[in-house]
Amino acid sequence: MKSPKQGWIVLLSLLALASLVLAACAPAATPTTAPAPTQAEAPAPTEAPAPTVAPTEGPSAQTGNLVMLDWSGYELPEFWKQFAAQYPNVKVDFSFLSESAEAYAKLQSGFEADLVHPCSNYWKIMVDEGLVQPIDTSKLSHWKDVNPALAKQGEFNGKQYWIPWDWGFESILVRKDLVTTVPASWADLWNPEYKGHIALYDSGESAHVIAALALGLDPWSTTPDQDEQIKQKLLELMPNVLTIWSSQTDLDQQLASGDVWVAANAWNASYIKLLGDGVNVDYTDPKEGRAGYLCGFAIPTKSKNYDLAVAMIDAYLAPDAQAYLANEYGYGIVNDAAIPLVDPTKVKQLGLDDQNIISRTIFYKFITAERRQAWTDVWSEVKTSK
Amino acid sequence: MKNSQRFLTLIGLPSVYLFLLFILPLGLMVIFSFRGGTTGAARNVFTLDHYITFIHNSSFQRLLWRSAGISFVVAIISTILAYPLAYYLVFQAGAKKTMLMMLIIIPTWTSYLLRIFSWKLILGSTGLLNSVLLALGVIEHPSPILIYSRTAVVVTLIYVWIPFAMLPIFAALERIDRYLLEAAADLGCTRMEAFWRVTFPLSLPGVIAGFFFAFIPTLGEFVTPLLVGGAQGSMYGNLIQDQFMRALNWPMGSVMSLAMLVIVLVLMFLMTRLGPLSDLLGL
Amino acid sequence: MPKHKLPSFGAVYVLLIGVLLYLPIALLIIFSFNNATSLTFPLKGFTLQWYQQLGQSSELLASVRNSVLIAFGSSLVATSLGTMGAIAIVRYNLPGRGLFLAVAAMPLVIPYVILGVALLILLNQAGIPLSAPSAGLGHVIISIPYAILIISSRLVGFPNNLEEAAMDLGASYWEALLRVTIPIISPALLASFLLCFTISFDEYSIASFLVGTDTTLPVYMYSQLRFPTRLPIVIAMAAIIMTVTMLAMLISEWLRRSGQDSSRK
Repeated sequence: MKSPKQGWIVLLSLLALASLVLAACAPAATPTTAPAPTQAEAPAPTEAPAPTVAPTEGPSAQTGNLVMLDWSGYELPEFWKQFAAQYPNVKVDFSFLSESAEAYAKLQSGFEADLVHPCSNYWKIMVDEGLVQPIDTSKLSHWKDVNPALAKQGEFNGKQYWIPWDWGFESILVRKDLVTTVPASWADLWNPEYKGHIALYDSGESAHVIAALALGLDPWSTTPDQDEQIKQKLLELMPNVLTIWSSQTDLDQQLASGDVWVAANAWNASYIKLLGDGVNVDYTDPKEGRAGYLCGFAIPTKSKNYDLAVAMIDAYLAPDAQAYLANEYGYGIVNDAAIPLVDPTKVKQLGLDDQNIISRTIFYKFITAERRQAWTDVWSEVKTSK
Repeated sequence: MKNSQRFLTLIGLPSVYLFLLFILPLGLMVIFSFRGGTTGAARNVFTLDHYITFIHNSSFQRLLWRSAGISFVVAIISTILAYPLAYYLVFQAGAKKTMLMMLIIIPTWTSYLLRIFSWKLILGSTGLLNSVLLALGVIEHPSPILIYSRTAVVVTLIYVWIPFAMLPIFAALERIDRYLLEAAADLGCTRMEAFWRVTFPLSLPGVIAGFFFAFIPTLGEFVTPLLVGGAQGSMYGNLIQDQFMRALNWPMGSVMSLAMLVIVLVLMFLMTRLGPLSDLLGL
Repeated sequence: MPKHKLPSFGAVYVLLIGVLLYLPIALLIIFSFNNATSLTFPLKGFTLQWYQQLGQSSELLASVRNSVLIAFGSSLVATSLGTMGAIAIVRYNLPGRGLFLAVAAMPLVIPYVILGVALLILLNQAGIPLSAPSAGLGHVIISIPYAILIISSRLVGFPNNLEEAAMDLGASYWEALLRVTIPIISPALLASFLLCFTISFDEYSIASFLVGTDTTLPVYMYSQLRFPTRLPIVIAMAAIIMTVTMLAMLISEWLRRSGQDSSRK
């Protein structure tokens, strides 16, 4: 060894230098310091210098931190312009999730967040364990425009614990150019034509729901006998299954590459993305109805910023924020007043205007811990059977 | 007396650290495994239910053995492939040694996730390999090669672990006294004989460490099976993940993890039957 | 150095492994300039838009910074603790040695998810806020076994009479360690640091539970998987990281060589 020491000292100092440079640059670029970046890029011409005047009282004087336990993608300032204008001095921090259960796990073990973003099948366990508190909807200026059927889903014991915000279909997405018959029913997934070319979503709940629908059962009230039937049905599906998908990015790649012909429980966002890429796909409307997810906001019991949290929910519900969600991400929205702002072709593709599809959609319901356990165990057995 | 003082000073800080941030959490996990309620919320209940469920669940055990088998294959092959690499770096690379080692480590700084996506790009239906084979007329219809199968999981993990398995072998070969090899040559050993009689036995501790570097993480792996394993690739780690993140059954997840821990400890114990662990690792 | 046979075979083999390791990365770099969001052939045309969007994606940049800081800090701590532990167990055959080794090696066999959840509960009980340093604490734990294994296998290689010789010359024990032992094991310290850095930089499970709002790159990336249109931006980031580390390495190698040349004069 000649002098390995010099080499690695140099290397370490380079690394140290790199981290220092990053440390010095990055904070300036962080958006968590509220609306500065957007305003800097495009100075709003009409409502000029309001934030620059040092405010002495009112909401704009309020400082502090708002901690969001949220999915990534929603941190973009476009989603909370209203809040940023209202509370320019409040710092908004994001802690990212990749599963609803993760939100629950974090709250359960004491993480202090001011807003959390669980989906329809998980929020109630948070209520049951006292992790989230009721929300005073009279303080939400956009509440009146929220689709009442969806709003109702967040009610429990006459109180609103959860404010639905985004949703999407889970249906069968198919490469029209690669199959001869396009499925018309969930039961068609079992068609031997698709052998080795189906992608299933990695979730016991989804698997249970599609098998129940294919068997003509109500997914939410199955008996133990029917559960056994569902398990057998799923086992029969496995020869058709090529892979199990767990992220939209992954699924879109598999469909675009042609490895997967038929994807169960694909989101409408996938459909729009693939159409945009020029892939020949069809998003089916199975005769039993599409499945659907619905997610929204809840305020943790431990939050010390209840009012700020409510104001933040209101900002996310604002028509421009909701329209952005549909236009940019291709997700379903809850604020009917936002629909005119959504690109008409998107409205069509998403089926936002088709109340017939929405009312037939089977949104995930909350299930008891025992059922979730049972369905997960069935799924574990099915997906390892091959 | 002086020795034991030095020993305690040296070992004190790491021990305290490990106790606070490892033994305590591990203890929590053991406590969880006896708790009632699916999330372990029923703190006052002491139950063996989760252990009983585990014993009666044949798919858990089948997967545990299958994963152990996969890990074994992955670890053996990665170690075998890593050995010549380490050998070349130590004995033949000369001044380029440090640079080559860095070149082998650096790819691992690119996100694992992205590298796997890239592999799928190479092996998928419209991938690089298919395009080349189509153009050459070797195949007529594009089809995914090697992905969506258990083999794919094995191949991908070997690819991922080679640099890791190489490091301890590298360290072990580095400390072999070159004079021993010269002596062997002087005594009339051929290079092959010198390798099998001197170099290889002396590098064995590094080989064993390399094996474990690949074996243990593979046993708990859950991302690779999801991305390249397809419908038959699921591993034990995926089931643990399902218990923790889907069923919210932390006690069950803890029991399953402890079972995995037992497997690894038994394996290490069997290794120590060959000789004390510390001797084996050359300590 | 004795001559070993098959030099050409060795070089070819290293080259093959090198191609295997770098082919996926080369593809990523190519696709970072591809004008499409899907990673599929054929290529659709050249674009710099992903790099432009990357410049505006401040959360992503912040996550890279957090990852580098966590990886750097946790590798330093793990290598230091590992060095102490390794010297202790290699040099002294005293009671407690076996136990320490067994405990220190155990983080290797715990699934990271579990360690993440358990640490989360523990930190909350202790009232320690979640942040980049708390994720670093967790990364130190999983790095320690690697550090100890690498460093101790180097330590075994040289006898402790060097330390004793230094002490005979009047150095205190700790001076002897610092001036004699540490320099000799420095290649192992480098290997350990690099490995720990690698482990921390790409670690997802523990970080996702412990970072709080200081998102790291892997946590950011996994959460971004819901948005396929963002994939090329993440790939552009990876391409930059790759290029920067390669450059850093080449420069350090060049500096090292010129340093050696001048010392020979």
